[in-house]
Amino acid sequence: MSKMKLGVSLFSYGTEYARHQYDFEECVKRAAQAGASGYEIVGTQMLPSYPNVSDEFLSLVEELRSKYGIGPEGYGASNDKGILHDRNLTDDELLAGAILDLKAANRLGCKVMRAQYMLTPAAFERLAPYAELFDVKVGIEIHNPDTPSTPHIQEYLDVIKKTGSKHLGFVQDFGFLAIAPNKPKWDRALELGVKEEHLQMAADMRYAGVSLEEASAKLREAGAHPAINESLQGMYGYVQFRSKEALPKLLEEMKEILPYTFEMHTKFHYLSEDCVEPSIPYKEILECLKDTDFDGYLMSEYEDEAYCGGEMFTRRHLEMERRILGL
Amino acid sequence: MGLVMKLKFTDILRDGTLRNYYVDGQKLGFQFDVRLGYYRGHFLSVIDELSVEVDGEKADADDITFCLNGKEFGIVELKHQFSEFWNIITPATIKVHKPGGLTAGEHDVRLTLMLHSPYMPLPGAKEEHSYTPIDSCDQKIMALAD
Repeated sequence: MSKMKLGVSLFSYGTEYARHQYDFEECVKRAAQAGASGYEIVGTQMLPSYPNVSDEFLSLVEELRSKYGIGPEGYGASNDKGILHDRNLTDDELLAGAILDLKAANRLGCKVMRAQYMLTPAAFERLAPYAELFDVKVGIEIHNPDTPSTPHIQEYLDVIKKTGSKHLGFVQDFGFLAIAPNKPKWDRALELGVKEEHLQMAADMRYAGVSLEEASAKLREAGAHPAINESLQGMYGYVQFRSKEALPKLLEEMKEILPYTFEMHTKFHYLSEDCVEPSIPYKEILECLKDTDFDGYLMSEYEDEAYCGGEMFTRRHLEMERRILGL
Repeated sequence: MGLVMKLKFTDILRDGTLRNYYVDGQKLGFQFDVRLGYYRGHFLSVIDELSVEVDGEKADADDITFCLNGKEFGIVELKHQFSEFWNIITPATIKVHKPGGLTAGEHDVRLTLMLHSPYMPLPGAKEEHSYTPIDSCDQKIMALAD
């Protein structure tokens, strides 16, 4: 029996929140209704007194915990290395910011904190004793286009092994396991007037490993609508995908760092009525995870490329996870 | 073509907020509210460009101020505000010094608001300090509310 827990990142309701359709309470309520047993909060998105947690916000969190039965389990920290206008933050400055994030996570009662790869391996290493003291496990997020084997991700693995700290590890975002084009972006391109044959041509070139410049030039020659360039930015950027044949190797990569993984961001961009994510092969991924002793949270994280809000898709997403995992 | 993030979940220029402001009983300029066009908040130091054009007339940078969290900043000061955080659900007020203010009725308001995403290096960038731009610009016809 799998020990994994299902949670929702309130990021999934980011559109509703930005539009004032949902306040913080409504986000928590919807997560509970979707079946989450905990939630993740992105500090820069929903923490009113960011980067600190105010007494007022903490009482709200506690009030909602008694009302809906769920509380924050994950804290999404941001490591904004580029906030200054003229230079990057130094390791000292990145560390200072990350310690404040640990305090925020601890105050909220989160056991896991997502950190971003802007936190340098050197600052990450120096964070270990603080993470242990505040008892918050810090996971570097592995996000598409990176995969666990990407060289700069491996540098964090070296730090984890070197320190031997049980409080340093990873958060894996399922986006890197995508094996087909992003559906909302595809549909959006069609709406803008891009022909399906040109989108297919772009996807085929992506599968074949053709460079972005060459793909862009070939599509221009073929007379594709200029909006194809936006599709290409996605296909070669944050929503890139690999071939189906690459999946077994990617799943191996996922499993290899599982002992150091504290949480999964179970990413999705769309879910059909019968609860299928068109680009991320959930059945294969979850079947593979089911047989491991991973006992962290699967945090459902909807990224709204369609600007339609995440409530319905999030419900379907947890439904899908329960079905596959037999929960 | 470089990558630019444009995430417009809501109107950036807020309806019903354009009005003249008064100092010592004199109409000294106009103001309106703006929201940040992004999924998360930012420190003001990531604002790279802010300008205002009304009915084709561009305001001098010296005449524009940015009000947030009970404080008011000049445009040239924004890049130093690395601990002043702008939440995504909190509107900021932009004030433009213009003695006499705006005439009654509708005005074409154009806001240029460019930021950089401080955690997303520009893909393929050669320089150390090069981040993905965020486009939070907006344009609309706004009716003067006072």
